[in-house]
Amino acid sequence: MMQKKVCMLGGFAVGKTSLVRRFVSNVFSDHYHTTIGVTVEKKNVTVGPQDVMLVLWDLYGEDEFQRVRESYLRGSSGYILVMDGTRKATLDTAISLQETAVRTIGAVPFVSIINKADVRPEWEIDEPAIERLRERGWPVLFGSAKLGQGVEELFALLATQMISAPVLPRD
Amino acid sequence: MNSRNSDFVPADDPLFNRVLSMLDIAVLERADEANEFRLRGLPPEWWRQSVGLADRTALDLKQCSPFLQDYLAHAHPAWEGEPGAIEKSGPWTESDRQGGTMTLEATALSIGSRKLLLIERLGAGFQQMQAIVQRAREKMLAEEVTMKSHRKAETRLMGQLEASERTKDDALALLQYLGVAALVLDEQGSITFASERSLEILGRTAEQVIGRSWEQAFPIPEEDRVKVRHILDGGSDRRTSGPFCMEGARLSWVEMEVHRDPRHQGRQIVVLNDRTELHTLRQALNEQASFHDLVGKSPAMLRVYQLVREVARVDTTVLIEGETGTGKELIARAIHFSSARKRKPFIAANCAGLTDSILTSQLFGHKRGAFTGAVNDQQGLFEAADGGTLFLDEIGDIPPPVQTALLRVLQEKEITRLGEARPRKVDVRVVAATHHNLSEDVVRGSFRADLLYRIRIARVQLPPLRERREDIPLLAHSFLSQICTTTGKTIDGMSPDTLRLLMSHAWPGNVRELKSAMEFAVISCKGKEILPVDLPPEITGNSVASSPSVWIPLTEQDEKARLLAALSEAKGNRTEAAKRLGVSRATFYRRLVELNIPPR
Repeated sequence: MMQKKVCMLGGFAVGKTSLVRRFVSNVFSDHYHTTIGVTVEKKNVTVGPQDVMLVLWDLYGEDEFQRVRESYLRGSSGYILVMDGTRKATLDTAISLQETAVRTIGAVPFVSIINKADVRPEWEIDEPAIERLRERGWPVLFGSAKLGQGVEELFALLATQMISAPVLPRD
Repeated sequence: MNSRNSDFVPADDPLFNRVLSMLDIAVLERADEANEFRLRGLPPEWWRQSVGLADRTALDLKQCSPFLQDYLAHAHPAWEGEPGAIEKSGPWTESDRQGGTMTLEATALSIGSRKLLLIERLGAGFQQMQAIVQRAREKMLAEEVTMKSHRKAETRLMGQLEASERTKDDALALLQYLGVAALVLDEQGSITFASERSLEILGRTAEQVIGRSWEQAFPIPEEDRVKVRHILDGGSDRRTSGPFCMEGARLSWVEMEVHRDPRHQGRQIVVLNDRTELHTLRQALNEQASFHDLVGKSPAMLRVYQLVREVARVDTTVLIEGETGTGKELIARAIHFSSARKRKPFIAANCAGLTDSILTSQLFGHKRGAFTGAVNDQQGLFEAADGGTLFLDEIGDIPPPVQTALLRVLQEKEITRLGEARPRKVDVRVVAATHHNLSEDVVRGSFRADLLYRIRIARVQLPPLRERREDIPLLAHSFLSQICTTTGKTIDGMSPDTLRLLMSHAWPGNVRELKSAMEFAVISCKGKEILPVDLPPEITGNSVASSPSVWIPLTEQDEKARLLAALSEAKGNRTEAAKRLGVSRATFYRRLVELNIPPR
């Protein structure tokens, strides 16, 4: 079966681990438990006629305490940028991480998701900011790990993009 | 693969194995020829439970966690001959065989030619570090929530502030639109707010008012200030008082309404209601009938009242011209009491029939011993009137030496008492009166031209009663009321015939003559109504019913005859004779002299 390494990137406490756990185990916890290092999970998905095993690298959140090691990104077929809609600063972190990913692994497929759609009225990331992300060519989804909203679509979209993406050698 | 390497000392193996076991580290060695790893020494307990790999057995990478597989799949400088290089994988978390999780970290290093892979299970130190990071991040999240809450509160407050500012602007616009003159005073009586209309009334700018005490800001006379103080110190929620005269840029009359500020005890809202127009109308209404002690509402008298008001505003010398009995002294009093000098003395002096020395002494005072009979120092009328007004009646009759002295006083504003050399400063407004035509007196040489010009800066000409006959009923009723009050008699009024007689009389003695006639009538009246029979005979006898409005001036002979007749009737008593004729004693004397009637 085809395996695809996927990195979960984003600032701390944006819900990367929650999205992975909702996707892999369909569970959610309101309790915040910070990730140190990497937790790797696997899940099989079917994209058209093809079964694909997604190897999900749930990386620790980037902040002033921890910087993402570029070596973790090596070999990734795609990545997911996660933002917290209620914290505008997580958008800047996502932009910075995306630039790091491009620098490290090239133009591999990626999808971005603005998490915590269950508290949409409290969002700080507004429509103009989202529009600016789309203008950068980012696929932007809205979702809620808490409600399971947009989670399947997120991974399915990335899997589809990874399957259909040409394999380009890293220069 | 070699079973033993010279880099390991066989004698130390048992100790080495125990240390590794206690440190929870599994040591694997990489074969040179293949990417194959074999366990070296005793593995720690977790390794045996989760991997179960025995000594020297090759590690099956497919059984390893994807993280370790990924780590081992890449080249590492530590194994590429870089001396002293140690490369850590960073921690990763994976499931153990007991259903829990464990966090591991791999380290690549070389010792001599041997490439080693150490896999350590991170324990208490790692958990401690994780707890610190967890707490730090939770704190950051909490601070973000707090900051967000503060930002929300700030936004809400800014919104409220903006709304409040808008409300304030609206309220101000409304106050402005409605023309409400409102002020707010704090506990100390300082003005904290003043609407534009209130500033207009006060005749001040906001800078001159805000933060100042109302005592400084309100341009009101002292007696009104006391009343305002009283109303502001009052205890009820709503108090009114006034009207007060605000002497701002424009004179205005305001009623004051004081409300306790419902939001702040101790603060007061003062509303100034401009009642100037009402006051003016009321004053005008009152003046339709009287002005000070003057009675009359004929157009001629209304013009006189207006002239008096205008003259009162300036501080110049005034000449009042009019026939005898027209009320020249009343006009002088009205000027004084309408002027800024009203709180200072008003002194009237009749200059007729006095010798120059007596008049000089009266006007300017004298020093003891200045002349026979001057037993004390005596101040004159100018000094007595200092700050006020001196009314010089019959100024046309003053002797030339006194005219010269008077001119000097008017020019220098100082007097010198008789017998003294030192001049004294005086601040006196002179209002003079005459029945003469002073211009003719100047031509005749009996009056100094320069004095005339000095005293005639402003002039008021009083009309004779015959030229304002419409005032006769008003005057007659006014005198009737006064006389009845004085005498205690009760008379309801006058018969139409009486009034007709009064209206048709020529009144050579003017108002004074009318007053005398009414006194006569009241004394004579036996009933409740004055009848023609009650009037003096000269009125009943001289009335010309057919041509009441025609006044034929008396010839000199006629007047002489009248004076002699009056003297005869009064049995030589000149005061009584003057009264009978309705003229003042001074006028009577003067006319006797002018007509060469020798005193008896």
